[in-house]
Amino acid sequence: MYFILFWTFFKIGLFSFGGGYAILAMIQQEVVLRHHWLTQSSFADVVAISQMTPGPIAINAATFIGFQQAGIPGSLLCTFGVILPSLLLMLAITLTYLKLKKLPWFQNIFEKLRWLTLGLIGAAVILIGKGAFSDWFSVAVFAVCLAVYLRFKPNPIYLMLGAAAVGMLFG
Amino acid sequence: MRKNLLAIFLTFFKIGAFTIGGAYAMIPLIRREVVEKRKWITDEDFLNGLAAAQSCPGPIAINLSVYIGLHIKRGWGMAMAVLGTVLPSLISIMVIAALFTQYAEFPLVRKAFHALKPALVALIAVPLIQMTRQAGLNWANFWVPVLAMVLVGLLGISPIWLILATILFSVLQGLWFAKGRK
Repeated sequence: MYFILFWTFFKIGLFSFGGGYAILAMIQQEVVLRHHWLTQSSFADVVAISQMTPGPIAINAATFIGFQQAGIPGSLLCTFGVILPSLLLMLAITLTYLKLKKLPWFQNIFEKLRWLTLGLIGAAVILIGKGAFSDWFSVAVFAVCLAVYLRFKPNPIYLMLGAAAVGMLFG
Repeated sequence: MRKNLLAIFLTFFKIGAFTIGGAYAMIPLIRREVVEKRKWITDEDFLNGLAAAQSCPGPIAINLSVYIGLHIKRGWGMAMAVLGTVLPSLISIMVIAALFTQYAEFPLVRKAFHALKPALVALIAVPLIQMTRQAGLNWANFWVPVLAMVLVGLLGISPIWLILATILFSVLQGLWFAKGRK
């Protein structure tokens, strides 16, 4: 069981591109459809909790599912499984980068990838925005946060804490 | 600027503990801490790291932690950065999974998120505007991120195809230039 948990999450980490949301889709494929560890509705709870808890979404989901399946060791194994491909691949990429970053043809790849990066962040804005604007209150919060952030450049932590407090009081 | 391992761990722990909504919400905070405040890496290296972290499979926040950790202090830096990013998740999720599986349903939590979600959109959108300059965007290449945004955000296409196409294009372009110079 331990090995299957680890191996499943290792595969999830290795084959998902695009961060948290892509990884959630992959987890659904493996954990709900293939192994039947979770029902569709309890998976929806995992998604909600992963998005509403501090930290990377994929790590949250892996830790939660691991805990439900096999307690604390399960949590640790699933989390380690999902990050191990990242550790190995990013280690290789970063060492290559440090070695080749002065070469023009290599810099050219990163220049083009940087353009793409902004597009992918923009896509994240769209995806998160889809679930964020349900009424005038949320639009107002967005407008105020945008103005405050552009004008005063506060620490993002304070902006989040402030928004959470406003939500608890008036949401 | 001190670069000891504890400082690396604590910085990433703080980032992991105070950001909700995944890697994209972490970007402004990571940039603020690692580039602006502690000057551990340059803005250009940071942006390239972001590009690499998105192009590599796995959680983007972990990918970025590996990259930045290695830049600051090699293997141990990497270990500390990753541990710092992962630990807040591990701890908070274990507590929730053990005690409050209904956490997402609590009225107060729901109300907080009613305001947190739009705040998050603003939080991710603002650095996007600020990063256009450092990313080298101009009127001639502005269509690239806009197209990527539409394809991935609206049409649901996997970013991997865009990443592969971009790498392939820039490698071919590099070869073309190398040939032209001979």
